[in-house]
Amino acid sequence: MISGEEERMDAAGIPYMIRPGKGPEGSVLDLLGQLIGSGGADALLLPFRVPSGDSFAWIMFSDVSLLKDAVPFPATMPVQGGRALRSLTRKEKGKLRIIALMRPCEIRAGMELSKLGQVNTENLILASYDCPGAVKLEDYVADPVSCDSAHSEMRSRGEPSGNARSACSTCVDFSMVDADIHFGYFGIKDGGMLVLPGSPAGRALLEGLNLEEGRGLLPQWEAEISRLAERRAATREETFRETAERISGFDGMLATFSNCIGCHNCQSACPICYCRLCYFDSEVSRTDPEALITAAEKRGGISIPPDRIMFHTGRLAHMSLSCVSCGQCSDACPVSIPVADVFSFVAERTQRAFDYKSGRSDGEALPLRRFLKNELDGVHEMVKDAESEASPNE
Amino acid sequence: MNRQTDTEFTPKIVGFLCNWCTYAAADLAGTSRLKIPSTFSVIRVMCSSRIDHNLLLTTFFKGADGILVAGCHPGDCHYGEGNYYARRRFALLKKVMEVLDIDAERLQLSWISAAEGHRYAEVVGKFTEKIRELGPNPIKGSTRF
Repeated sequence: MISGEEERMDAAGIPYMIRPGKGPEGSVLDLLGQLIGSGGADALLLPFRVPSGDSFAWIMFSDVSLLKDAVPFPATMPVQGGRALRSLTRKEKGKLRIIALMRPCEIRAGMELSKLGQVNTENLILASYDCPGAVKLEDYVADPVSCDSAHSEMRSRGEPSGNARSACSTCVDFSMVDADIHFGYFGIKDGGMLVLPGSPAGRALLEGLNLEEGRGLLPQWEAEISRLAERRAATREETFRETAERISGFDGMLATFSNCIGCHNCQSACPICYCRLCYFDSEVSRTDPEALITAAEKRGGISIPPDRIMFHTGRLAHMSLSCVSCGQCSDACPVSIPVADVFSFVAERTQRAFDYKSGRSDGEALPLRRFLKNELDGVHEMVKDAESEASPNE
Repeated sequence: MNRQTDTEFTPKIVGFLCNWCTYAAADLAGTSRLKIPSTFSVIRVMCSSRIDHNLLLTTFFKGADGILVAGCHPGDCHYGEGNYYARRRFALLKKVMEVLDIDAERLQLSWISAAEGHRYAEVVGKFTEKIRELGPNPIKGSTRF
C-alpha cells in the first residue's frame, strides 16, 4: 500500500482529514450521515448492537436518525460482512446505492465473492477502516462489558490483545484494502482521522463534502501502519511455524482435527463457502453402510462418522485460494480447533503457488478460471519429448 | 499407523482417463497386447478437467494407493483447453497435500495421446513401481479416518 501511494493518489485523489474532536467513531458516523444527506448514496450498511447486548448485527437503513445507535467499529465479527454483501447483491446489482462500512477482511471477502459471481459491487460503496482485530465471540458473549473496553484498548494501540482472534494477531492486511473509502486513524494523535479515497467512486463522493486536505497526516499514519504490520508479521511467522509442526502428516492432521464433531460450522460461517449444498453435506458423499462395514473389516476398525480429515482437506482444496484469513471458522468451532491457523497457513502457500493474493480488486480473475499455456512444468510427470512448445497466451 | 509393508504388496491404483486420448491409448495398449498391471482400475471421464478435487480425495481417503489422472497433451484437448484447467486444479490439490505433508506423491498427472499405447503401458508400469516402493496408503491401515 505504501509503495503504491502515489499511484493510488493518481487514481483516487488526495487524502482528506478530519480534525480531532469526536474521535474516529463519531467522525466516521458523521461523515456517513453527510454522504446520505448529500444524496451520494441511498442507504448504509452498518453493525448495530443486538437487543441482548452481547453481539452485533448488520442493519441496512437510510434514516440518518438511526446513525447514533450504530457501532462502526464493533468488537466482534458475528456475521462476516462479505456474507451480508452477498445477501444484498447475489442476484444482481443492488437497486439502492449502499455504503457498507466493514473490516478490511470483510471487504476482501466481498472481493472474492464478487469474483465468484456471488456479490455485485456495481452499486456498492465499500468503506474500510484500520482494524485492530476482533474479539473472540465466545469471550464476548461471556462478558461484553470488559470485552468492549479491551477492544477500545486494542483500537487505541492498533493491536490485537489476548482475547482477539488468532487470525487477527496474524493479519497483515488490517488497513487499507481495495475499498472505495478508507478511514485511517492508527498513529494519528488526539483522535484525528484520515479519509482516503480508494477509487474514483470514492473520490467523487468525498469531493462533494468540503473536507479538509489531509496530506500532512499521511506520514505518521503510514509509519504506524508499517510498524504494526511488522509486529503482526512476526506473530504470523511464529504462529505459522507452530501450525506447520502441528499439522504435518497424517498423524498431525489427525491430532489437529481429532476432536472435530463434524458440525461443519466452520464451513457455514466461512464467507467464501457459498455453495447452497456442500459436497460434504450431500448424499453422494455419505459412505454406504455396507462399505463402512467392509472397510472396518479390512482395517480392523473404523472411525464413525468417517471422513473428517477428508472434509477439512477438501475444504482446503476448494476454498483456500480465496481464503481471506478472517478467522470466522475458528470462532465458529465449538471445540476450539485452530481451524483458521491451519487454513491461513495453507492458503498463503496455495495462493503463492499461483502468484495470487485473495481479496484484491475484483478485476483480477481467480486462479482456477485462467491459465497459461506454458506453466506448472513440474506438475505433470515428464516422459519423452512430446511436450508441445506452445507460445504463452494471456 | 503404517501397516507393515508387505513384501507381496501390489498397489491398488485408480486411473482417471480422458475419453479422447488416454482411454484410447489404454485401448491401443490392450489391442497391442501390452502388459498392464491387473490392479490398475480405469475410470473413463469425458475430459481431464472433469476431475473434481472431491473425486480424487474420495478415492484417496477410501484407500487407493495411487491415483493417475491422464489427459490429452497441452494444445490437443478435444474441447480446446480443458487440460489447461485440469492442470491448474491438479496443481492446487497437490499443493494442499504437499503443505499438509500427506503423500502428495501418490497423485500423478500425465499427458498421453490416443496414439501412445506404448507410453501408456510405460507410464502405468512406472507409476505402479513407484507406488510399490512407497508402500500402501497409510489411511488403509488406520482405524481413525
